[in-house]
Amino acid sequence: MATYIGRRFVLLPLVAFGVTLLIFALLQFLAPEMRAAAFITNPNQLNALPAIIEKYGLNKPIHIQYYNWLREVFRGNLGWSQTARQPVAQAIGAFFPATLELTLYSFIPIMIIGVWMGTAAAVNRDKLIDHVSRVFSISFRSLPSFVWGLLILMILYGRLNWFPPGRLSLEGDLFVRSGEFRFYTHLMTVDALLNGKLWLFWDSLRHLMGPVLTLTMISIALLVRVTRSSMLEVLRQDYVRTARAKGLDEDVVINVHARKNALIPVITLSSLTFVGLLGGVVITETIFNFPGIGRWGAFAAQQLDIPGVTGFAMFVAGLTVLGNLAADILYAYFDPRVRLQ
Amino acid sequence: MNWRQRVMALVVLILAFSLVGLTGIAQGQAVKNPDTLVLVRFGDPESLDPAYAYDTASSEIFLWHVYESLIFFNGGSTGSFVPMLATEVPSVANGGISRDGKTYTFKIRPNVKFHDGTTMTAEDVKYSLLRFMFMDRDGGPSWILLAPILGADVTRDDKGALNTALFTQANNAIKASGNTLSITLKEPYAAFLSIMAQWSMTVNKKWAISRGDWNGTAAGLAALNNPAKPEDTKLFAQGNGTGPFKLVQWDRQGRQVILERNTNYWRAPAKLNRVIYRVVEDFGPRRLMLQQGDADIVSVNRPEQSQVTGVPGVRIVDNLPQLVVTGIYMNLKIDVAGGNPDVGSGRLDGNGVPPDFFADVNVRRGVAYAFDYATAIRDCNRSAAAVNKGPIPQGMFGYNPNQAWFTTDRTRAEAAFREARGGQIWNSGFKFTVAFNSGNTTRQCMAQVLKSNLEALNPKFKVDVRGVTWAQYLSLYRQSKLAMWIIGWAADYPDPDNFVTPFMHSTGTYAKAQGYNRPEVDKLIQDARNETDTAKRRAIYYNLMKIAYEDPITLYLQPTGFITMRTWVRGWYNNPAFFGPYVYPISKSGG
Amino acid sequence: MSLVGTAVRGVQTNWVRLRPLGAAVAVVVLAALVLPATRDRLLRYPLSTAGFILVVLGVIAFWAIPSDLTKRMRKNPLSVAGFLLIVFFVAVAVLAPILAPPPSSSRNAYLIPQEGFASDPRPPQARHPFGTTEGQYDLYYGIIWGTRTAFRVSLVVIAISVAVGLVLGGISGYYGGRIDELVMRVTDIFLAFPGLVLAVVVVAVLGRSLDNVMIAIAIVNWPVYARLLRGDILGVRSRDFVEAARAMGGSDIRIIFKHVIPNSIYPFLVFGSLDVGLIVLTAAALSFLGLGAEVGYADWGMLINLSRNWILGAPGNPFAYWYVVIFPGLAIFLFVLGWNLLGDAFRDILDPRLRGSG
Repeated sequence: MATYIGRRFVLLPLVAFGVTLLIFALLQFLAPEMRAAAFITNPNQLNALPAIIEKYGLNKPIHIQYYNWLREVFRGNLGWSQTARQPVAQAIGAFFPATLELTLYSFIPIMIIGVWMGTAAAVNRDKLIDHVSRVFSISFRSLPSFVWGLLILMILYGRLNWFPPGRLSLEGDLFVRSGEFRFYTHLMTVDALLNGKLWLFWDSLRHLMGPVLTLTMISIALLVRVTRSSMLEVLRQDYVRTARAKGLDEDVVINVHARKNALIPVITLSSLTFVGLLGGVVITETIFNFPGIGRWGAFAAQQLDIPGVTGFAMFVAGLTVLGNLAADILYAYFDPRVRLQ
Repeated sequence: MNWRQRVMALVVLILAFSLVGLTGIAQGQAVKNPDTLVLVRFGDPESLDPAYAYDTASSEIFLWHVYESLIFFNGGSTGSFVPMLATEVPSVANGGISRDGKTYTFKIRPNVKFHDGTTMTAEDVKYSLLRFMFMDRDGGPSWILLAPILGADVTRDDKGALNTALFTQANNAIKASGNTLSITLKEPYAAFLSIMAQWSMTVNKKWAISRGDWNGTAAGLAALNNPAKPEDTKLFAQGNGTGPFKLVQWDRQGRQVILERNTNYWRAPAKLNRVIYRVVEDFGPRRLMLQQGDADIVSVNRPEQSQVTGVPGVRIVDNLPQLVVTGIYMNLKIDVAGGNPDVGSGRLDGNGVPPDFFADVNVRRGVAYAFDYATAIRDCNRSAAAVNKGPIPQGMFGYNPNQAWFTTDRTRAEAAFREARGGQIWNSGFKFTVAFNSGNTTRQCMAQVLKSNLEALNPKFKVDVRGVTWAQYLSLYRQSKLAMWIIGWAADYPDPDNFVTPFMHSTGTYAKAQGYNRPEVDKLIQDARNETDTAKRRAIYYNLMKIAYEDPITLYLQPTGFITMRTWVRGWYNNPAFFGPYVYPISKSGG
Repeated sequence: MSLVGTAVRGVQTNWVRLRPLGAAVAVVVLAALVLPATRDRLLRYPLSTAGFILVVLGVIAFWAIPSDLTKRMRKNPLSVAGFLLIVFFVAVAVLAPILAPPPSSSRNAYLIPQEGFASDPRPPQARHPFGTTEGQYDLYYGIIWGTRTAFRVSLVVIAISVAVGLVLGGISGYYGGRIDELVMRVTDIFLAFPGLVLAVVVVAVLGRSLDNVMIAIAIVNWPVYARLLRGDILGVRSRDFVEAARAMGGSDIRIIFKHVIPNSIYPFLVFGSLDVGLIVLTAAALSFLGLGAEVGYADWGMLINLSRNWILGAPGNPFAYWYVVIFPGLAIFLFVLGWNLLGDAFRDILDPRLRGSG
């Protein structure tokens, strides 16, 4: 077990760098002028195109560029992100806490609602509840996320003014930028409480609700499905039949005996969901103008901000590997059958 | 938990959810944040350093707000000036401009305080000008001062080595003593005052040096020259000028810049206490912020205009003249090396065009007569544009309103095409692609109008329309591979030279890519630059307009602009030379 | 031949149940042939007509042939719903040139005709049953032909992903050892990369076009199929019949094709159907980011991206432009829903672990 985990840890840097290799391999297809797109942004600068290409070595062969980039990384310099207007490492540090906060706040309702609906569907297989919950969750997954996001924005911000875009209101923002506010975790809701400002806590929570709602809607389908099939399998098992034969209350059977084991694949899925959320909030963050890492990553990719995209991809890849590892460990921990292998 | 309990729990959850939202219920339409102006844009500034930034998103923030220039535009006029950091506008009459048009003398206003309380002198202005010229970063604005003052475009030679002789030359050209500043140009340049109005931004020399910026000597130039990235300059995210607002912070994570009122301003302090520039890329949330009053002025593109028309509490001011020209460019020497999808077969066989297709002036005239300007203006620009008779924008000095120009005339278009290459083109037909930057629906629309116009002339004429990303555009532009494309040009300063050069000079941004090279045109443009006599200068520009008509390489449209703001914003006025709203006179009241 | 025989026999045995359906189809076909308007169109596009008839026959045969699959599907109303939705879309795709004939002057039927160039969408009217988008693209035309695009994109992407996944997953699972390790690490790398961002990079690099969108999504998608197949092969490889086949001297390729793949088809079916929905949504996401099909191409993602600025409606009337969102939205929604329901139902039906009483 320990060697297994150890091996997976060794793989982490391999995968992270493999990802960067992939990006640079893709960039092979880019003409040097295209690589300059991040630096030349308006027609008045077009005359400087040759100079920019020279200056940043954009016409060097891609493996030389990769080597230069790698060398800088080992010096601790991830490069400068044109799109973030700051060094890549700083950009990641600036944007990630927002996405982390968003992910955490989405994760809880996704898990709760997903498991609840999945269990209800499994227990009442082929009855109305089953069909309704499945259609319900699938339906949310059947429209592009930006449509849901815009609808939510229109109704809950435009009509009701409940959940505004952005991360904080104007007053909240100015207060946070003033000297009086101390950052602890960089999670706005937590820091607001730690600073003792309840109004700021409500403010940041309000701004989170829009994207949280959107993300929850589009993410529960998978969880419902996995919970349902997992529960179904467990419910057929001998020990469940035994528990029922013993005359135990159905509720107890489900909640005490079945659910625990059914949740094993769900738990592993949860860490994958978590990581998936981290990487996949791009569109939601754009719609709600939430200053997170997904929005920046996609923007950097569009603008061909090479250091930005590479840094972003490396970071998320690292997180993904960690998440997968966590999933495997959890799986092994909870499922004795795996452990004994 | 049984079913009833579950439903109860769900209801409680929903209630709690809504409660969070209700705490921010709409406040009605009273003025929100009465002493703070919130402007929302869709692009981040690149740098707040006046010597580095060359994009409107940056300049609109600090120009005349944080840093001021020596002179300023008079109201909404781009041709007449009022003093700002200088006490009077130099002219030949008051001796501010020498007889030969080469030396400009500015009397610097005394007792003007920087944001830190120190006093501005001519030495600060000289430092700022030299710093602007010698930072000279690739893709930057330094050429704007380098060209007239030193006659050079870059401070480095071909190998990238700094030419220190230029610094000596500059040091002699700009003289500062006490409160007098004099600048001697290499050659007379009539546009110099417009340049001064926009690009003589003055920074606090002592403060900059204390922050580690250039020390003002030749020895320090190497560190100043051509910074590798924007953050390398000391004034990237901090500043100290004389303007009505102080730069408080550039929050790159929250994508906003915060300015605060300067209470030591040399004129009456601004009415607003705070100005915040925010970036929201997507139009949806931007529009909603405007509707809710969370934003006061937002950027809106022409196709989105109908979405903000009629919103209560929102005012649109339309038909604002701007120094912008949109061009439809024809490439006289299309590069086909290595393949070029935009020229089809590459031959005149009805399925492509040869590289010199547009070299024939009849083809170009045919296109100019075929284009349905009225439809393009009405449908693609919401009627908020006009045909421009050449590269110089209407209303600018040098524009000849009586110049003959192309109108939509199908007969003439046909005749021109029939004459092209002795009728060969008419008989065999052609196929090429018009490119536009993808995402710009206005330009896409114009490309489609042109396509339908040309295809209506002759069933053998085939035109495709293609959107290219900015990156693709750069590549195709540099290699001269585009056959025909649509893109705009915005003025660096309000002078006709800033328009004829990119559009008609052989080294100009567009003319070069179009393969347009006529030495006599180059000479005319140079002569116009150096001509000090207004009447003679105008005559040369009139001549250039005539050439643009007789030998057309580009179709020109001038779109007007519009601004979208809340009705409680007062005091705003427009000047075509502004890069963004001029915030100093603005206040919020009424609602 | 045996299939046809079974089909015929199936139709014979189920004739009573199929009679009303057959009658309905016959009436529709006769009507279409008789009415001059439709007859012209039908005759001008014989391939589409023939295709449609084939589809109808195929559906009838599918339900007529007795099989475990159809028996189980019939029990599950959701799967029937999914199936019907998909068949509906297939029919629309096949009949596209008849339902929305391209204008005679058009060189590419997939470019939506525009009536003028005005920027504001127009509501449904006689000439435009679904209304027009900004730029006056006809929504009805776009949605009909967009069905073809949706099928083409998803099927091409799945084909590429399955092909690559088959090869790599097959090699990896069959040979095991170091090759397996290497391939697994490569798939790790692709899977670790945030999917949408990878697709954006690919399209940004290759240039914006529908073909590049397909390549980009396939690049993101193939690892899952590789893993899937590898898992199946690992599971099947150690089974007795494979050992037996190998003992009898069968070549590796033959074994893979004859034994391994047929047994691993079912998870592919399940995953493939669910994947179609994901692919269509990813293509729409790329359109949102400005990297999808060009504006004016018949693609639902493009249409719904055009609707983006109009979702908020006009001031005072939030639903003023409902048609720009509803029609493409409904098309995407029903299409994805259909495939999701089908995939879900397949999973239920084909998952051996879930067979038997629940």
